Amino acid sequence: MNSHHRRGLSGSSGVDSGPRPFDLHVRGEVPTAFDGSLVVSTSRRAKDRSVFRRWHDSSTDLLRLDLFPGRPGRITAHILEVDPWAPELTLDLGLIPETGYRQGFRAPMPYPTQPNHGLNVANDLLWATNLLFGSPLEVELSTWKPRRILQFVQPDKEAPGVSTTSHFAWSPDRRHTYFHQSLLKPQPKPRPVVATDLRLIELDVANGDQRAWQIVPPPGDEAMESANFHSGFCFEARGKRYVGLLRTGAIIPSLTVHAGTNDHAVPRMPPSTIWLVEIDQASASLQAQLLPGVEQIDGLALSHLDVDISRRDGFILYANFKESPVGEETHGRNIYGEEPSVVAEHYPGMILEPLNYGAVIRYEWRNGDWSMRTFKRPYQPGRTSLGHTWLPINLQLEPGNQRLFATFSGFRPRLVSQHIAAAYPERSVEPTAVTFVPSLLMRFDARTLEPDYDPNGGHLSYAEPVAMAVAGDRTESFVCTFSPEAGLHIYRADDLNHVVCQAESPMLMHWGDDYFRPEPAHAEFVPR
Amino acid sequence: MAVAAPSVEGPEFAEKVRRADEITRRLQESNWDFDAVPELFTRAATCDVVAKEIVTIHDGRAQTLLGRLVMNGIGEEFQLNSPSSALNITLPGRPEVFKEINDQLGSRGLEDFEEFQGVKDIQQVVFYDFTNFYQARDLAFWSALYDCGLSPSGFEEFSRHLAAGKVVTSMRFRPSRPSLDSRPVYVQGFTGKRFPTPVVEWIPKPLFGGIAPDTLHLETLLTLDPTDLAHPFLPLVAEGAVELDGRRYYMRRFAGTSAKAAVRGPGVGPEKASDQ
Repeated sequence: MNSHHRRGLSGSSGVDSGPRPFDLHVRGEVPTAFDGSLVVSTSRRAKDRSVFRRWHDSSTDLLRLDLFPGRPGRITAHILEVDPWAPELTLDLGLIPETGYRQGFRAPMPYPTQPNHGLNVANDLLWATNLLFGSPLEVELSTWKPRRILQFVQPDKEAPGVSTTSHFAWSPDRRHTYFHQSLLKPQPKPRPVVATDLRLIELDVANGDQRAWQIVPPPGDEAMESANFHSGFCFEARGKRYVGLLRTGAIIPSLTVHAGTNDHAVPRMPPSTIWLVEIDQASASLQAQLLPGVEQIDGLALSHLDVDISRRDGFILYANFKESPVGEETHGRNIYGEEPSVVAEHYPGMILEPLNYGAVIRYEWRNGDWSMRTFKRPYQPGRTSLGHTWLPINLQLEPGNQRLFATFSGFRPRLVSQHIAAAYPERSVEPTAVTFVPSLLMRFDARTLEPDYDPNGGHLSYAEPVAMAVAGDRTESFVCTFSPEAGLHIYRADDLNHVVCQAESPMLMHWGDDYFRPEPAHAEFVPR
Repeated sequence: MAVAAPSVEGPEFAEKVRRADEITRRLQESNWDFDAVPELFTRAATCDVVAKEIVTIHDGRAQTLLGRLVMNGIGEEFQLNSPSSALNITLPGRPEVFKEINDQLGSRGLEDFEEFQGVKDIQQVVFYDFTNFYQARDLAFWSALYDCGLSPSGFEEFSRHLAAGKVVTSMRFRPSRPSLDSRPVYVQGFTGKRFPTPVVEWIPKPLFGGIAPDTLHLETLLTLDPTDLAHPFLPLVAEGAVELDGRRYYMRRFAGTSAKAAVRGPGVGPEKASDQ
């Protein structure tokens, strides 16, 4: 999409970069379980740390790694550089019959799409999303070409922004996918942005049919400044279909990035909740209810999930609280009083840095009865075998739903902003009492939500990239992690000390001379 | 890391080996939890690379890395660990390479950094006792034997490299005038390595050693074919061609400040045993 011209230098040493496909250097064996493609949403950051840009706004490079099993097998990378203004997709505007809302919109600010975060796949289609802003970009996987932008609300001057669920909900038969979309409306300062026109969208991935409902907020959780939803899930019980939306509760001070990187008063996020709506095809609006017990956890930034819907009488939801003010950028002086210019880790742009360690929950709901377990753990350097829950990112059940894999980003204390921590004094870690916490990939027993201990440490691997995917079947499965810098590592799911494949390329790491691709949050494996 | 190499031989050394082996077994039998071996925790700020000038030569089949490393440390003897290819060959350092390249570029190398001007009284050191660790227990054993300590997060970082089939290469160095108080001394040494790989493999971020949280970093990439490959974190500062060892190379140079991994806040001590 981006017509940026590159110097098309050729070379036999495999050291050229560029948007054309290239092979990774593979060591080991690509297992047959990974016969397919790994899709990753990467973003670009300026190397110049005086250029400040939020993660949300960072340009997107969608990456498709085609894996061909064998020893060593082959892995080919395809990069799609996304133009957030997508002119070729917004000129030809379509109408959605059910709502009369136009799909495309081109505004000077904010951008229509900046899909540098979530990945939702069905058949040969990918819907890539931002963390919070804009609309999903639909990409055809086989041709690696963008097709359209899924916009179901109509921005205007009063409400120029759009927010969409990053990680969609899927019906048990995976025929339908569901996500929320709403407008974002700036308020007179110092009030934060509010959501308006909340909608739930249903997309039939078999025939492309789509429809939208208005969502009526649940009693007791009507605050529109925190009405944003990072992930959704779908389940059926007693012949009815429901969609759950994780109300993350990000507070957005402004649709645009801060004019400066100064300290400022930070509006506090409320504890996260889960909204539950029953799908009613005969109704134009859906009344949301609160899933009981979630708000009482008092956790911040409920965001990622996996769900076991193998039984048709409810669900087992695995979800995580980041304990991080996700609407704020890391900027200004840090909790040690250091200016950003002296903190080399502080590359430009927002990074999520937690205030304290987060939590993973297991929420079981059967025909209205529910129970919940919570796993929450600090990092103890002397007991690394216990794992930790600092900044949980991905959750994915193994085929068969017996074990759960999770990644945790860890903690870089020098990236916590002083003014953000000051807004949450009761939650924030004591700066002198905390040290660096390494990232972590950990395997859980899905029934107990306890680490699936192995005396040899095969249940965890530290210093891992957080983007993760599980592949295989009930008899044999594998888990991979990926980042442009560390490359791809594939492990036996039974033993996270056992790498079967490692692949890398320097071409993954940078864009031109001035930008690099930092560690992405998510990866999605698509079998061939 | 500051090391305290065994100063004994014969039966007394054999006893130290038994003791280090006992620590290693205790660590392994305790699920690699350092609380079982509190004596293995690193004790204080010891040593960091504060500036480095790296020449990376890639010929399409193999990569040669030549390094000029400037370090500061508190102690008498030090050790550096780095992950390497299992096919890695350690090469002697080649100080003349840096001069040859910099002369062609009209550069003074690290001395071009304004921040480097304040680094005075740099002692020359040679690297010696190159050792490879093939398993996590090798790393723990050597650290126990040389009483240099480990941080659990650093141990986990190296364990990940070992699981992926790399080795951890250790080398030692000793300044002629050691640091005898809390003020670090600056030293400079030259090193090299070569390993087969069809792609350029940038050196991973080093782990924070407790003194310098970031590194002045000058990296020069030499290739036989033209390339637009860039360093992931450092901006491009020069591009052209140079001659080295009778061959002409395409050259790209990157420079800036690079962050270390596992950096903690100022005044915060190293990882320690859990409160019991």
